[in-house]
Amino acid sequence: MNTTRRRRRWRRERLLPYLLLSPALVLLAGMLYPFGLGLYYSFTSYWLQYPNRFRFVWLDNYVSLLGEPLFVRALEFTLGFTLVAVVLQVGLGLAVALLLHGRIPGRSVIRALMLLPLMMPPVITALMWKIMMASTNAGILNYALSFLGVDPINWFGSTQGAIVSVLIIDTWGNLPFVALILLGALQALPTEPYEAARVDGAGPVAVLRYVTLPLLSPFIVLVVLFRTMDSLRIFDVIYATTLGGPNDATTNLQIMAYQYSFQWYQMGKGMAQVIVLLLLVVIVSYLLMRLWNRAAESTS
Amino acid sequence: MTSRAVLYRGTVAKVAIAVAAAVLLVWTVFPFVWILLTSLKSPGDIISVPPTFVFTPTIDNYAALVIGERGGQYSSTRPDFPRFFLNSMIISIGAVALSIAAGIPAAYALARYTFPLKNALGFVLMSFRFVPFIAFVIPLYLLYQQLGLYNTHAGLIFAYQLITLPFTIWMLRSFFMEVPLEVQEAAKIDGCSWLGVLTRVILPLSMPGISVTVILGFMFCWNAFNYPLMLAGRQTFPVTVGAIQFISYEQVLWGQMAAATMVAIVPQLLLSLMVQKYIVRGLTMGAVR
Repeated sequence: MNTTRRRRRWRRERLLPYLLLSPALVLLAGMLYPFGLGLYYSFTSYWLQYPNRFRFVWLDNYVSLLGEPLFVRALEFTLGFTLVAVVLQVGLGLAVALLLHGRIPGRSVIRALMLLPLMMPPVITALMWKIMMASTNAGILNYALSFLGVDPINWFGSTQGAIVSVLIIDTWGNLPFVALILLGALQALPTEPYEAARVDGAGPVAVLRYVTLPLLSPFIVLVVLFRTMDSLRIFDVIYATTLGGPNDATTNLQIMAYQYSFQWYQMGKGMAQVIVLLLLVVIVSYLLMRLWNRAAESTS
Repeated sequence: MTSRAVLYRGTVAKVAIAVAAAVLLVWTVFPFVWILLTSLKSPGDIISVPPTFVFTPTIDNYAALVIGERGGQYSSTRPDFPRFFLNSMIISIGAVALSIAAGIPAAYALARYTFPLKNALGFVLMSFRFVPFIAFVIPLYLLYQQLGLYNTHAGLIFAYQLITLPFTIWMLRSFFMEVPLEVQEAAKIDGCSWLGVLTRVILPLSMPGISVTVILGFMFCWNAFNYPLMLAGRQTFPVTVGAIQFISYEQVLWGQMAAATMVAIVPQLLLSLMVQKYIVRGLTMGAVR
């Protein structure tokens, strides 16, 4: 009697976590199912307007991407943009964190205000800058630059202008992310290494180079990881400003997949492009995770 | 080095730091100020060269958001903005409510029980943060067309689970784990079942954490653009997709767009000040406190 009750109770205890998880697992299955379906579509010739042509084509979509000039350009832009954006944002973010770590007037106010760009909808951020980046002197940014002797820039109309614009807008929204994480890390650093460095007579540059940066390295890798993942997949800002143009200059893989699937309704090809992007994200994040583990080990 | 040189260098450094702080402040705040000014300008003032800081303010742009083209001299693509705002509210609140309802028991299980595949499940949840959204949108779009979920609030609330559910579970788990085990054991000795432990110990003690999770989840939903862009129609557009409607082939309605932008960010401005301390934690899903 007693043992059966205990056994029943034990079984219930073992099943309990699954019971607790079941609502979330149902929702999760509801998300994984479309993803699996999409993966399957990437091996088919799914074209929404021609349902009769639906066939399983194995790797045709993937192979045909290699011969697609736009795909090569989009891949280049995706990687190039990510590289520049991450270096720029992490570099500037580190500078801002160091600035705010020092004793400057209005530090806490600036810190609180920096949260605002961070929590704006990216598409709204893009629209705000679109207003400021009007191509004539009526645009406030061109007007401000005119004092520095810069002629009006055609921000979204020229190839280089469009790339720079997207970079500026993305940086405005995400610089605070890097800066605030690194600032938090700076404020939590142990004090002993700094005292030791002072005893050794190290100057500020040497302290930064040999004490601060090594201690910060796990956090730097972490923000690089997050920023890389997001930059590889940037969509909202590009969609709201250039839509991938002009002349496909700002078309990344996600914009290209959007165009294939929602403008030309070639769902199979669109899915194949996004799976390539996903693989890219997985590989890069795996490499960065390994780097993060190593950095975290070396400092602890 | 002479003492004067040291003094000089110190002054230069101080000035440089002050200038850098001022630049940072302007860079952060000026866009908000400028868009607010633009939203209060008449069309003539908006395109004036050079840009004006002094003008007669008008609320016409805001009025146009509500009454639309019939409201007079201002054309607006369509006077749907109040509905877009309401849509954003419905979808965001619905999505957060669903995620919290499913997330609380799930987070409790992940925080307090060990079971096979626990780590794998945690990994799957975390990996949602990194999947390109189009991978979900293409199949969801096709499924929703068949199931009649396209252009419905329910469909969007479900799609938004991709944003909120992994985040909610992950955040709640980290807050639940902060409740000391001793308190829980004491409650068990007093005869509390798992349900009692959850409702009488864990939930009350992690109420601040749950509030933060709700607010941040709401903000992430509010920011969402790409899912509703493809899965919603005019009746269900949230403000993010609504604001972009002021760009048409013929023209951009700068004034209304600025006004729409200001209205769209009101919740974000208020809420981000409320949860200041937790934003970084939320954005990294608890990886950084």
